[in-house]
Amino acid sequence: MVSVKRYLHHPFWQAILVLVVAYLLVEYGIPYLPPLIGISSAPVPQSVVLQYMLTVLAGILIWVSDNEERWARFRQPIYAALVDRDKKLLRVALMVAIPLLAGWLTFRAVRQTVAAPPSLRSIHPAPPSSITFRGETITLAGLGNPLRQDDSIAEAYAVGKRVYYQNCLPCHGDALSGDGHYAHGFMPTPLAFTGSGTIAQLTESFVFWRIAKGGPGLPREGTPWNSAMPAWEDILTADEIWSVIVFLYEQAGVSPRTWEEAEGPAEH
Amino acid sequence: MVAQAEGQEAPAGKATYDKWCAGCHGEEGAGDGVAATYMLPQPRDFTTALYQIRTTASGELPTDGDILRMIDEGMPGSAMPGWKDYLSNTERTDLVQYLKTFSRFFEDEVPPPVEYGGAPGVSEEGLAEGREFYDKIECWKCHGQAGRGDGPSAPTLEDDWDLPVRAADLTEGWNFNGGYTTEAIFSRLMTGLNGAPMPSFADLIDAEFMTEEQLWRVAQYVESLSPEMPEVREVVRAALVETLPATVDDPAWNQIERFYVPLVGQVIIEPRWFAPTVDGVWVQAAHDSERVALRFTWNDPSESPSAEWEEWRQRVVSVMQPTVETTVSTAEEEATGDGEPEVGELLPDALTVQFSTTIPEGMKRPYFLMGDQDEPVYLLNWSSGGDTSEALGRGMNAIEAIAGETVLVSESTFDEGQRRLLLSRALTLEGANRLVFETGRPIPMAIFAWDGSNGESGTQGAISTWYFLYLDQPTENITYVFPMLAVLLTAVLGVVIVTRAQRGAHGAGPGSGSD
Amino acid sequence: MDHPLKQILALVVVLGISVATACGGGGGGETTDGEADGGAPAAAGSVVSPDSAATINGTVSFEGTAPAAEPIDMSEEPTCAEKHPDGAVRQQVAVTDGRLANVYVYVKSGLGDRAFPTPSAPVTLDQSGCRYSPHIVAIQAGQSLAIMNSDGILHNINTQPTENRGFNISQPVVMETSREFSRPEVMIPVKCDVHGWMQAFIGVQGHPYASVSGADGLFSLADLPPGEYEIEVWHELYGTQSQTVTIGVKETAEVSFTFNSDMAGNHVPMGEPLVLR
Repeated sequence: MVSVKRYLHHPFWQAILVLVVAYLLVEYGIPYLPPLIGISSAPVPQSVVLQYMLTVLAGILIWVSDNEERWARFRQPIYAALVDRDKKLLRVALMVAIPLLAGWLTFRAVRQTVAAPPSLRSIHPAPPSSITFRGETITLAGLGNPLRQDDSIAEAYAVGKRVYYQNCLPCHGDALSGDGHYAHGFMPTPLAFTGSGTIAQLTESFVFWRIAKGGPGLPREGTPWNSAMPAWEDILTADEIWSVIVFLYEQAGVSPRTWEEAEGPAEH
Repeated sequence: MVAQAEGQEAPAGKATYDKWCAGCHGEEGAGDGVAATYMLPQPRDFTTALYQIRTTASGELPTDGDILRMIDEGMPGSAMPGWKDYLSNTERTDLVQYLKTFSRFFEDEVPPPVEYGGAPGVSEEGLAEGREFYDKIECWKCHGQAGRGDGPSAPTLEDDWDLPVRAADLTEGWNFNGGYTTEAIFSRLMTGLNGAPMPSFADLIDAEFMTEEQLWRVAQYVESLSPEMPEVREVVRAALVETLPATVDDPAWNQIERFYVPLVGQVIIEPRWFAPTVDGVWVQAAHDSERVALRFTWNDPSESPSAEWEEWRQRVVSVMQPTVETTVSTAEEEATGDGEPEVGELLPDALTVQFSTTIPEGMKRPYFLMGDQDEPVYLLNWSSGGDTSEALGRGMNAIEAIAGETVLVSESTFDEGQRRLLLSRALTLEGANRLVFETGRPIPMAIFAWDGSNGESGTQGAISTWYFLYLDQPTENITYVFPMLAVLLTAVLGVVIVTRAQRGAHGAGPGSGSD
Repeated sequence: MDHPLKQILALVVVLGISVATACGGGGGGETTDGEADGGAPAAAGSVVSPDSAATINGTVSFEGTAPAAEPIDMSEEPTCAEKHPDGAVRQQVAVTDGRLANVYVYVKSGLGDRAFPTPSAPVTLDQSGCRYSPHIVAIQAGQSLAIMNSDGILHNINTQPTENRGFNISQPVVMETSREFSRPEVMIPVKCDVHGWMQAFIGVQGHPYASVSGADGLFSLADLPPGEYEIEVWHELYGTQSQTVTIGVKETAEVSFTFNSDMAGNHVPMGEPLVLR
């Protein structure tokens, strides 16, 4: 116990401990801890791990060199490992292990890798100001859902439900969560409509544009060549599309972004 | 508490049902929702109270727990998702009660679950005994000798609604409606699948034809046929080999890594297809710096073109929406006065592997669904009808053959419900739009497959989005030089640091560095 | 939810004398492998006094030319093919000398709320030569149905009732299994998924007054209490017909029914699903 305490009070071992804890947090904490409280997460890429660790190391060095006495104590074990006669074994081991580690890291960096090329994809690219729908020009800016004007919402919902179940279900799923029974066949995966991240951030005219023009109508930053979203103007009428939009918002329990919000300071 | 529940449960279940279930299962629970004809298997008709996955005996009603399990876990291999992540406990238990109101059978008493003991330990002998009984109780009649759902009775199977139904492919356990643990499989064997051709085998134990343990052995054997659900990787790696495998079943293929590419129905352009047979293709690739060889392996219970499966095709085509054009026209059938078309008219199986015409420099690739007018794709087409060709795709309906000599080598075999196909080509070919396979660069690749006996051809088939094919480069010396340099430099640096430190510590006097 | 007519059209098997006991005079020219027990209701029991018991005898005729029998390809099952040296046929309509066999006959109404004991003797349904024998089964609710497999190859017995709970059980060897139905139902289709051509129908009544016409087209409903009855006949292809018959103490009434091939489009009623709403 006493020796552990002694180590814990020593700046060198404190620094080592901080480095180890930081590494564990970045490598395992970030991907695995948030899901425990229901937040999704992903592993940190190796290059970012390295950046984080360098930052931590810099912080530690600043801290240990900040005070003469601490700096001296910090250096003491390193110095001992370098010169003490009774630490010869450790010294030799380190002088073998460190070069080998450097070699391995270098090999990892230069060997043949077979990763797919990075695909940077904008999920909500900027919409055009107007589109041509079956030969008719539709101005998207300021456009609302014509079926949301009066008391026809229930009817639009019913039509939209039929349209959704006969066309959208295989990919976007029963629960509108982007995991239909065909979703696993597509990269990128189909969009979920639930939650605050997708259609809740969009105006209905944006959604109309996405449905009508589908994957092939995406601008370049939306990687149109990858998207399995059909251009629904070939299959559905404008009323059917507006109806399915009503259905999407109702069923997902979210509201469309209004044009007042859209023109506000928040960029889209 | 009870009175309160009775007053409220049914309406609460109804609201949830109407919102989330009726689209497929219909307002009145008759399995006739608006989406019903856009999927196969079709949604369950609750008015008959025939539930496939139960713990009760064949034909009997399910327990509440059985119904809840189906709602929670869904029905793998079908369009039914699991709802436990989307609906609350109350909503789901209310739904159970509401589903029961669709049939008066639930006024009857639900029998208790079938009782049985635990599974014996798995052993080699046990699996052999399981196989022995797989033969004895003739599982193979429907499921086939290798378990791929290709038995002699498979083409004729119908459910209680006269809809075509597949004998399960036992090598793809992840598609089992009730799950693929040993317990789940044993439970299916004991209780059967109500409404489907799968019978109960429980009477064989009562009749002392086999013991319960032997039925467990069958379940363990069936479970052993299926690997874990394969992981999907974006890049298919083509190994660099001395000699390419010579034939489609060359044992050399066993040394080459397999990559699983899931396929789904083409539901993007009309006419669409919501009932594809092929749900995934295993891809293996190798090259020898001169040629590239690709081997595709997929399960398909029918060796098309197949007269045996023609009735199946007609039934599938007749139940799927939207109405599809049949390749064998009705007029033609009527003219010959025979519903049975000539064997020559039957549709073949086919597979197309698609690449970009050149390896893209940036992110941009051609449209994944066989290209478009602006940017074509390079296609290698194979068909069991005999054609193997190179083609250029400018859309699914705009495919033109690339003229010139056949440079594609192909070989295919079919056995026990599995098709294996070898396609091979020189890495470099003369002529425009013929992809040059370069090593060390990810090449966009997609796969399409058709099962003729399922009525598939043209836009109606199974598709994938873009994957990549990566041809391994010979390992260059530089790959070893840099690590060696790193080792050397670090070692020298270490020696320098140690030496200097020791000089400082042990004084500058001569001989002090003798450590 | 296709109408089962399609199945019926495809899958009728010729059948021999299956109802000899009930028909009294059964035993005509057909000599296929049907056994003489299938459709027989057991003795009516103690409900009707022997002093008053009446009988309805009937004839089912077929007018015109019967459709030709369609062959069944049993080459996949040599065990079964061997049992049909002259080749197995689908005889959708079993007509001999203008008489129609395999017509299910039952008292549809007129018995009031009388209760009848359940016969203790089982009714047999055999699978032999990849066909069901008998092809039409008359059974009482609660009565035991003894299902036999004489072939020794895999059959599954898949019953598809809509008012009863069915079952789908496997018989891969020579064996016997018992099942029963709890509710009256006209009719319950039976199929074997392994052999798509195999088809039988089971009629279930709450009373013993049901039978099946024999190869000679004859049937008999005996031991009836005197009264007025609606008699219905059911054919898997030609639908149903009914007549009202009044019989007195110890009387014997004669009825006759006639089918013809124009009736092939008729509605063939099956059990109704037990839907709540």
